[in-house]
Amino acid sequence: MNDAAPRTSKATKRKRGAIDKSAPLPPGDYTSIRVPIPPTSAFNKNRPVGCLIQAQLQHMYHAESARLPKEERDGRRPEDIHTEAEAASYIAAITKLLHPQRRKRSRPRPTS
Amino acid sequence: MPPGLDALKHIVVLMMENRSFDHMLGSLKAVNPLIDGVDGTQWNPDTQGNQVFVQPLAEFQSQLDPDPDHAFPAVDQQIFNGDQSNPRVASMKGFVQNYYLQQQDLAHSQKIMYYFTDDKLPVLTALANNFLVFNRWFASIPGPTLCNRAFAHYGTSFGQVGMNVFYPQGKSIYERLQDAGHTAKLYYFDQQSSSLEVVNLLQHQPQLFGTYDQFIADCKSGTLSDYSFIEPNYSDHDNDDGSQLASDQHPDHNVQAGELFIASVYNAIQSNPNLWASTALLVVYDEHGGIFDHVPPPACTPDGHSAGPADTGLNYTFNFDRLGVRVPAILISPWVPKGAVVGTDRVFEHASIPATVTNHFIGPYPAATPREQAAQTFLDLLSLPAMRTDSVVFST
Repeated sequence: MNDAAPRTSKATKRKRGAIDKSAPLPPGDYTSIRVPIPPTSAFNKNRPVGCLIQAQLQHMYHAESARLPKEERDGRRPEDIHTEAEAASYIAAITKLLHPQRRKRSRPRPTS
Repeated sequence: MPPGLDALKHIVVLMMENRSFDHMLGSLKAVNPLIDGVDGTQWNPDTQGNQVFVQPLAEFQSQLDPDPDHAFPAVDQQIFNGDQSNPRVASMKGFVQNYYLQQQDLAHSQKIMYYFTDDKLPVLTALANNFLVFNRWFASIPGPTLCNRAFAHYGTSFGQVGMNVFYPQGKSIYERLQDAGHTAKLYYFDQQSSSLEVVNLLQHQPQLFGTYDQFIADCKSGTLSDYSFIEPNYSDHDNDDGSQLASDQHPDHNVQAGELFIASVYNAIQSNPNLWASTALLVVYDEHGGIFDHVPPPACTPDGHSAGPADTGLNYTFNFDRLGVRVPAILISPWVPKGAVVGTDRVFEHASIPATVTNHFIGPYPAATPREQAAQTFLDLLSLPAMRTDSVVFST
C-alpha cells in the first residue's frame, strides 16, 4: 500500500518546525485551531546553558574523545561553553564528525 | 483484533521536556471531571508554614527561572517533603520548600504551584479534548531527564538515576525492531540540537537517526518507519533556516514554541490520509522538571538494579521500586474515542513505550527488563469499531 500523501502543485519553503500550511486536508469534519506564534523576544541564543545541555555537552565530549582520533577532534571543551549558541555550534560539529557519511575516511575500508 | 489495531502500521512517540501533568493539563478537570487535575484546593506549605495553593498563573517563559531542581535528592524532597523515615508517605508537599532553596525568595518559590489555563495551551488542550488522556502516566524514575528517557528506549536505565554517560547492556527498541525485520528511526531536530541518545548516536548513525526535516518528508512520502521517536529542539540557536527557538518546553524555554512543534508533528501525520489511518501518536513528557503535581507516584516492579547513596545523593539505596512524578501523556489516533480518559486504575510509565512497541511489532520478548515486562501497554485503547472522520487541524 502506498502511504504517500496527495501531491500539492507547488512546493513552498517552510521554516523548520513550523506548521505546514501547504498540506491538503483529507476529507472529514475538522475543527481548526489557531496556534499563536511566540514573540521574537523569546529567542535568546545567549541564554546560559542549563543542566540538560550541560549533560549533552559532556556526552558529546565523551563520544568525541572515545571515537575520534586526536587530529579529528573539535578542540573545544564543555567547560569553555557557556551559551546555548556556543553549545549548538559544538554539538553540531560533533554530530557531523560522528556521522560516518559526513566524515572524511581516516583509514582504508577493509577489503574482505 | 480491534479494527484500529488491525490497521496500525506506525507508532510515533514525541517526548517533550520537564513539565508535570497538573502544570500542563490540570486545568482540564474543570472541562472534563474525569481528568484528575487541579481544582484550586491542592496546596503545599512554604518555608514559613503558610499554605500555598495551586493557581492558574503559569506563563510561557521567565517564570521558572532558575530551572527548578529535578535531580534525585530534590525530587525526593518534593515527593516526601523531607521525610526520610521508613516506611514513609508520598505527600507531594515538598515542591515549594524545595524551590525556595534555589533563591531563598518566598514569593518566587510559590510559582512552582502555577498551572496553565486551557486557553493558553490550545494545542495540548485540543489534543486532550479530542483524543485520549492518560490520568496515570508517570516518569520512570524520581529523577532527571536522561535516566528517564533511557526507559523509553531500553525499558531500564541500567541503574542510572542521573545524567551520566552509560553504555546499555541490553537492546534498545530500535535494535530489536531492526533485528526482527522492522524499521525504526530516531529523529532529532537538527545537528545543532542533535540527540540526547549520544551512545546510540555513536553506534547507529546513519541508519537509525534522522532529522525533523526528514520526519516531515517521510510523512509526506509515506515512508515513515514502523516506529519513530521524535526529539524536540533543545536550544535557541541559528541554523541555515534562521533563528530556531527551543521547542522542548524545558524551563525556561518558551512553552508556545513547544506547542507549535507538537502541532507540526501532529499535522504532518494527520495531513496524509493513509498515514493518519494507520498511525498512533503518543505525546508524552520525560519528567516533571520539579514542577508541582498532586498525585503520589506509586510503587512499581523493581528492575533488578540499585543505586547507592553515592548515586542518589541521599542516605539510602534506591531499588527502582517507585515511579517518578506524573507527566502529561496523550494518545492520538482516529481510532480512540473523542475526549477519552484512561482511569486511575491503569498505571503507565516510560517502559510502557518499548513494551507496547515490542508487543505490537514483534510479540513476546523474554529479554525485556522486569520493569518492561510489568509495564502496561496502551494499544488496546485504539478501541473504536470504526475510524473517526472528525479531527482537529492546527494553523498559525
